[in-house]
Amino acid sequence: MSMIEFKDVEKYYGDFHALKDINLDVEAGETVVLLGPSGSGKSTLIRTVNGLEPVQEGQLIVNGQDLANPQTDMNRTRKNVGMVFQHFNLYANKTVLENIMLAPRLVLKRDEAENKKIAMELLERVGLADKADKMPSTLSGGQQQRIAIARSLAMKPKALLFDEPTSALDPEMVNDVLKIMREIAADSSMTMLVVTHEMGFAKQVADRVIFMADGQILEDSPTEEFFANPKEPRARQFLSQIIH
Amino acid sequence: MAEFLSAFSWINIRFLLMGLWVTIEVAVVSVILSFIIGSLLGVIRYVKIPYLSRIVGFIIDVIRNLPLLLIIFFTYFALPKIGIHLGVMTSTIFALTIFESAMLAEVIRSGIVAVPKGQLEGALSNGLSFKQALWHIILPQAYKKMIPPIVSQFVSLIKDTSLATIIMLPEVTYRAQIIYAQEPNAIVAMFFALAVLYFALNYVISKIGRILDRRMAA
Repeated sequence: MSMIEFKDVEKYYGDFHALKDINLDVEAGETVVLLGPSGSGKSTLIRTVNGLEPVQEGQLIVNGQDLANPQTDMNRTRKNVGMVFQHFNLYANKTVLENIMLAPRLVLKRDEAENKKIAMELLERVGLADKADKMPSTLSGGQQQRIAIARSLAMKPKALLFDEPTSALDPEMVNDVLKIMREIAADSSMTMLVVTHEMGFAKQVADRVIFMADGQILEDSPTEEFFANPKEPRARQFLSQIIH
Repeated sequence: MAEFLSAFSWINIRFLLMGLWVTIEVAVVSVILSFIIGSLLGVIRYVKIPYLSRIVGFIIDVIRNLPLLLIIFFTYFALPKIGIHLGVMTSTIFALTIFESAMLAEVIRSGIVAVPKGQLEGALSNGLSFKQALWHIILPQAYKKMIPPIVSQFVSLIKDTSLATIIMLPEVTYRAQIIYAQEPNAIVAMFFALAVLYFALNYVISKIGRILDRRMAA
């Protein structure tokens, strides 16, 4: 069953054609990594999947709802599709624990005691239970990102979107975040769409790699095949620049 | 000098302080009302509702560019012509609220705009509705940034209440006028007293505002 399906999707920013004829099908439980040079449209593409960027043409079916239709209630999709950002976007006016508990309380009406129990378990899982009462701004980037992941997981989403989750982190923080992402990917029911420059992570975790350039999908291959034998010259060039 | 000092009889001081209380009353009620209305208008400006936001924006621009005195005249002298009779106190509060709401709407809109866009995106993709995101995440952060401009608006509001002298609101400036009308020698003393009272009140408010701002920033 597909979780995310793009059919002939076009997106424009004014005159700029940001996404061109996108066709992509992500099955439930699959982990897909998006690669490509900067400005290729990867982030734009991933942001369309929970309606942060509207698309103008085609169909974009996420969890059974067509996001290309302006009538669609984006909130229903967002309840089931979490997102982790490059700059974390934790709520600056809430403690760590409140960051995780807020949406389940307001949106899912989760019982308060249960909400707290789940939040603490998640903090435990990302190794930051001792930071529950801290404000996000007092934590390191790596810690903030792990909390952002915990916040997304608290909604028990069917799919998670990661938009360059490690790009803003100091090198020594990257592995802590990748480790948690690996664990999430190991859960066979979770659909993951990841924009990243971490080739090691892509090789190890992705079922498939999508290569984008200039707003188009140039290649869509199983991971091993992509790294061993990329079909597209642009993809080959990209890999040779990144892997030394 | 003896003239100057004799103006500060207990009767006169008490008379002035009662006026200062009216000043504070009018200012506090107006600032609370204009904070609520200004927030509403600021949010309407921010969310860009078709037509409504444009119309609200136009009205705010008009009000911001009118002298407050004209608005006071309008509420006190023009509204009765169309059958709306407001007392002196209500007229003043009404006029100040209209004027201050327009001022605060702009302060609040710019405060909202200054909250990083990622906060809204984080909230929306976390499943919150736009309203929930605004209420729980965006507005609390915006208000925190807005403490200094809101306090300075409050201070100008207190000073602006003196304009209501024109429609004979018994606030502190008006009462000073009554005193020196009866005791012409007291005129300098009364101006001095007014300066001290306004300064003391506004200085205290500014100080509280600064402390509040530092607390919230910590």
